[in-house]
Amino acid sequence: MPTPRRTRLRPAPGHSFCSRPGHPFGHGPGLLFRPGLAYPIRCLLLLGALASLPVLLPSGCGRSKPATVRIGLEGPMTGDYAYEGQGFERAVRLLVDQVNASGGILGRHVELFVEDDRGDVKEASLVADRMASRGVSVVIGSYNSTATEAAAAVYDRAGILQITPSSTATRLTAKGYQRFFRMCFTDDRQGLFGAEFISKVLESRRVAILHDNSTYAQGLAEWGKKFLLERGCEIVFFDAINPADKDFTPSLTKLKAVNAETVYFTGYHAQAGLLLRQAPEVGLKVQWVMGDACNNPELVRIAGVDCAQGAIFTTEPLPIDLDYPEAKAFTADYKAHYGADATSVWWVMAADAFRVIRAAMEATKSTDSGVLAAYLHTGLKDLPGITGPILGYDEKGDRLGTIHRAYVITPKGTIVPYPKQP
Amino acid sequence: MEFLAQNLLNGVSIGSFYALVALGYTMVYGVLRLINFAHGDLFMWGAFLGYTALTAISAAGLSPGPWVFVPVLPGVMIVLALAGVLLERTAYRPLRSAGRLPPLISALGAAFILQALARNLYGASYKTYPSSVSLPGGVRILGDVTMGTTQIVAVLAALLLMSALHVFVHRTRVGTAMRAVSLDHDTARLMGIPVDRVIAGVFLIGPALGGAAGMLVALRYGSFDFTLGWTFGLKAFIAAIVGGIGNIPGAMLGGLILGVVESLGAGYISPQWKDLIAYVLLALILIARPGGLLGERCAERV
Repeated sequence: MPTPRRTRLRPAPGHSFCSRPGHPFGHGPGLLFRPGLAYPIRCLLLLGALASLPVLLPSGCGRSKPATVRIGLEGPMTGDYAYEGQGFERAVRLLVDQVNASGGILGRHVELFVEDDRGDVKEASLVADRMASRGVSVVIGSYNSTATEAAAAVYDRAGILQITPSSTATRLTAKGYQRFFRMCFTDDRQGLFGAEFISKVLESRRVAILHDNSTYAQGLAEWGKKFLLERGCEIVFFDAINPADKDFTPSLTKLKAVNAETVYFTGYHAQAGLLLRQAPEVGLKVQWVMGDACNNPELVRIAGVDCAQGAIFTTEPLPIDLDYPEAKAFTADYKAHYGADATSVWWVMAADAFRVIRAAMEATKSTDSGVLAAYLHTGLKDLPGITGPILGYDEKGDRLGTIHRAYVITPKGTIVPYPKQP
Repeated sequence: MEFLAQNLLNGVSIGSFYALVALGYTMVYGVLRLINFAHGDLFMWGAFLGYTALTAISAAGLSPGPWVFVPVLPGVMIVLALAGVLLERTAYRPLRSAGRLPPLISALGAAFILQALARNLYGASYKTYPSSVSLPGGVRILGDVTMGTTQIVAVLAALLLMSALHVFVHRTRVGTAMRAVSLDHDTARLMGIPVDRVIAGVFLIGPALGGAAGMLVALRYGSFDFTLGWTFGLKAFIAAIVGGIGNIPGAMLGGLILGVVESLGAGYISPQWKDLIAYVLLALILIARPGGLLGERCAERV
């Protein structure tokens, strides 16, 4: 028999706190106060509605023009990808400080709002809501495609221009968002490069593909599979790991059983380090080729030099290998300011995102996201960037061109360009 | 055949860590009927304290070889044992007569505090032990079945600690007192057993084993961050329940079963499905034996 006390936990339908008869809200049939919804859910909806009010109100109405240029930076400052998010902040803040020291943008001081989304879907949309309520017109971020995708929907509704430094999932620019751009190059182009490299340079025929079910990794894995099959390779394994795990010996044992020549891992560096470290434990000897999320010296630290050596990854060039004048200047400034080298290409992409925004604002004499987006789509041509010339953007918001290269980890644990490129 | 053997070995190696952590949950539950959610984070702190010690040794100019574990591991265990007792004194003992929910909330709070402390003190990025402490290479066990040297050492250490605990609980006077307290506080007190001190003893041993597990996990996998206690602790907690919470051999059995089922599921079906397979099986076990595999048959639940 059910104990009567339990019913007190949830108010009976029609007698809940918000829709009590006689309560002013009780007569409204609206979603917020529909009697069928549990009290906590309704409170959440109410809170959500309140939080989105500033978004719904046109930002210009009755308010004077903000005295500062407000730019948002969304990234994973904690969690698995904290290394990248914190690097975003350092790189962008360096440029913001430099710009402010020389008079700001359009004579106005630049204000940078940094928010942490932990690389997480739910956090990302909350961060996007907060950005909107702060009245930023442009946001740089986020790092991983999963978080960027969630935030992009909110930014699009709020009319905020978003540039992701590093989210490469192809479908992000296929949604018809007019104010979404990216600095990096998409997964299909990287998948094509990876397939070329594996089939032409390594001359592998039996390839295993391993991803981690994230938007980015699965996308890159699918593109890699498509282009590898077109080049006559056999895909002997196509599966995912769970990135929350630490022990990947079950997957590695399976990989060993399929006798692949090359394993193409499209996930992130933390798991790649663990995979490389555990591969010898099950006696797996295979050539590893990885995607650009493995472009990170922390990988060598996690795997240990002995296990990491010989592994190859395809990526945009490392910051120290960029030989453009802008790159030399930026990496020198970065080192002088922080006392360490800029080690991740995504940090530099974030810096370039800021430089693109600045160039667009100065060219259009405006901070309106619609004007800026129109300029980026059609007006911006051949801006010298830290990550190479920024040729422009196509109608979807993808950067034109590509700059991928293959790198290999040496027996000393350093990362050098692979001697042969496709 | 070799594939099966390799998967079984992988499973035992994962499972022995689950088991070692599960012991901490199950011992505390045995004497207090309290789920000590902070245990997973004490375990995580084991990895971090080991990291501090190893980096300090490196900073002192000594190159830490695998031998440093001989002094560092007991050191970390002692520090965590003291932390465990402190936790019991401050977060659990004042609430012992307050029913079942307040200590549970207190345990959750302690878990968040420990986790936030680790994140704020050490930062959010991955930490790694110096590569010089891990033993290189692997051992061919039979045919094509291999195991990493570090893996073997870590598993053996885990098994050794668990056997030591088993002997302690069943062959010493203090162990007997612990078993008595887990049966009935009041009767144990009437028999002249200092119940408070026995409970403190449980909080010495559980976190010490957890701390050792933390260091061994960090040694074995090479990298960890402040969320380690959550991801690993949850699995260990489930292992403790499946084995029959409150029962020490049950925790070991539950850990090993969870590890082996995960490993076989990943090997024969797909790594993507392994958690699902493992949890469905565990749910079936619990439906058949609600008290867990080795749990008390007529557990009274309040």
